[in-house]
Amino acid sequence: MQSTPTSLLSRDRVSGLIFLLVCLIYGYQATQIQLFPGDEYEAFTARTLPYLLTAAGIVMSLLLIVMSPAAPCNESACENESRLDWRLLSAFVLLMAAYGLGLTWLGFVLATSLFLLGGFWLLGERRKAVLLGASFPFVTLFWLLLTKVLDIYLEPGYLFLSL
Amino acid sequence: MLDGILAGLSTAVMPTNLMMVMVGCFVGTFIGMLPGLGPISAIALMIPITYGLDPSSGMILMAGVYYGAIFGGSTSSILINAPGCSSTVVTAFDGYPMAKKGQAGKALALAAYSSFTGGTLSAIMLLIAAPALAKVSLSFQSSDYFALMLVGLSAVAAFAGKGQVLKAWMMTILGLMLSTVGIDKGIGVERFTFGLTDLMDGFSFLLLAMATFALGEILFSILKPEPDTSAEESSALSDIGSMKVTKEEIKEVAPVAIRSSFLGFFVGVLPGAGATIAAFLSYGLERNLAPKDKRDEFGKGSIRGLVAPEAANNAASSGSFVPLLTLGIPGSGTTAIMLGALISYGIQPGPRLFVDNPEIFWSVIISMYFGNVVLMVLNLPLIPYISKLLAVPRTVLLPMIIFFSITGVYLVSFNTVDVFIMILVAVIAIFLRLATFPLAPLLLGFILGGLMEENLRRSLMISDGELSFLWDRPITLTFTVISALVLIAPILLTAFNRRRAKRALFVDDCD
Repeated sequence: MQSTPTSLLSRDRVSGLIFLLVCLIYGYQATQIQLFPGDEYEAFTARTLPYLLTAAGIVMSLLLIVMSPAAPCNESACENESRLDWRLLSAFVLLMAAYGLGLTWLGFVLATSLFLLGGFWLLGERRKAVLLGASFPFVTLFWLLLTKVLDIYLEPGYLFLSL
Repeated sequence: MLDGILAGLSTAVMPTNLMMVMVGCFVGTFIGMLPGLGPISAIALMIPITYGLDPSSGMILMAGVYYGAIFGGSTSSILINAPGCSSTVVTAFDGYPMAKKGQAGKALALAAYSSFTGGTLSAIMLLIAAPALAKVSLSFQSSDYFALMLVGLSAVAAFAGKGQVLKAWMMTILGLMLSTVGIDKGIGVERFTFGLTDLMDGFSFLLLAMATFALGEILFSILKPEPDTSAEESSALSDIGSMKVTKEEIKEVAPVAIRSSFLGFFVGVLPGAGATIAAFLSYGLERNLAPKDKRDEFGKGSIRGLVAPEAANNAASSGSFVPLLTLGIPGSGTTAIMLGALISYGIQPGPRLFVDNPEIFWSVIISMYFGNVVLMVLNLPLIPYISKLLAVPRTVLLPMIIFFSITGVYLVSFNTVDVFIMILVAVIAIFLRLATFPLAPLLLGFILGGLMEENLRRSLMISDGELSFLWDRPITLTFTVISALVLIAPILLTAFNRRRAKRALFVDDCD
């Protein structure tokens, strides 16, 4: 019987290692929590639950590292990975971050309209009627609903405030 | 109790709340029909809207969305074999073959009628079980609550998918860890804030729920694009055939619907089990109970095979409200989100809810029944029209949902830092999903963390630091034993299965 080559660092083991690291950092930070004089005699302090969680987290991550099988080096796993569109996701993450900045600088209407326009474009929409029709008019209506009907105050954005 | 029911009824029949049920069912059905989005995402998207409403209306809206999303999931299961959520996977086993035979209309009608039966019977059971359990739990002490929360958290992990138990525990612990960030409510010291004022109040529940379940889901579907089925679903809905069900068919499936409703309700009450397990169990049960000739039809378009999971998943959804409303312990990710929302309104679910806010307690129960009526009377005939909304292309729909998720969080805090934290959490959620870590236990741990710490603190103070509080009272002892069993069972089962597999391999090698 021919055995399949395996890699020691399977995804689960890497996840276990990362979780272990998180637990260790959390545990270290738990030791930095301030205690009041006399707390050492208390049955429960602000550190008690964090210590318990650190211990449980370390046990769990070690169990995952030990119990998860080694990863088979097969092509199907790689094929699955290649189907993931990381480039598009990164573009969306950047677009969302820009939207976050835009809310402060450009204000709600302009930032949201540009965000939607960019989002439609990134997903492959090229029809001008959809690109412009589903962004600016829709956001203006939504803005009117928020400000005039629901009476929610939305800042105009630094750019307009400085004008 | 009668006063409470009447107070709940008067709240539920208020025009605003009736509208909430209808809007909730309609929106839920639409979101549930979208591939990849289930009840949990639908409810997460609704949280910011409910912040502006009073607690009863908010809960009523969310309950409507919950039912609607399950119904929407069944629709896409039947029509195009693409379940919107895990609890409607079984519906596709026989619903889709029926649709392929040209009986889509009948399948949709049967699904709606059986959901209605499940909803009606479970509402009656809820009416009886919830107050009884709430009365019993009034005698609970902090040690009982702590042990009960242990049961809830361990059960959710235990019922996680195959090979995910350990990961579910890890996610629960991570959720508990996140709940400790901010100023400690008992003592008043800062924990894990790194001196940042934004972290003093801890992580926002809304942000975490929206980032993991609404934004995270959509970003994941961008990362791993699934075929756009909206056009297929829309065309399948344009010709669904007759919705008529004959008397003989009703006679055949009535006992199935009743049995499945009871089974579904009791499975739903168990923390962690939920609608998916209820649907699978009832399908298996009905298959075994069916006469030989009917049994062979299962998987090929059997009406019994369609009715059983539909009645069961609906009844289980109602059942999952029992531990939420009476004990304050959510049994699933969806009810965990509702618990978080209730806590945000300043209401603590549990036995006191039944005493202090009977109008919320009863109006939610009554509205859940109204939700069933709305789904059958309004949504079923409207299905072909709702499907028109699905014609909105994916290229437009996804950015819109992202916009609603981000705006939902922004409009509550008006702080753009929250937007950045949300993006970061959503990206982490994507990596966790890729590594097959379930996210519902994370949210459950986060929501229960504060309460659990509070009860542990009280119990340890009362017992003078002794762990004996875990077995001093019979109720606490029972819960402790149950959680220990639930914790150990999956490990033992895994070890046993691995050993058996190894032995089998050894036998193979010998051959």
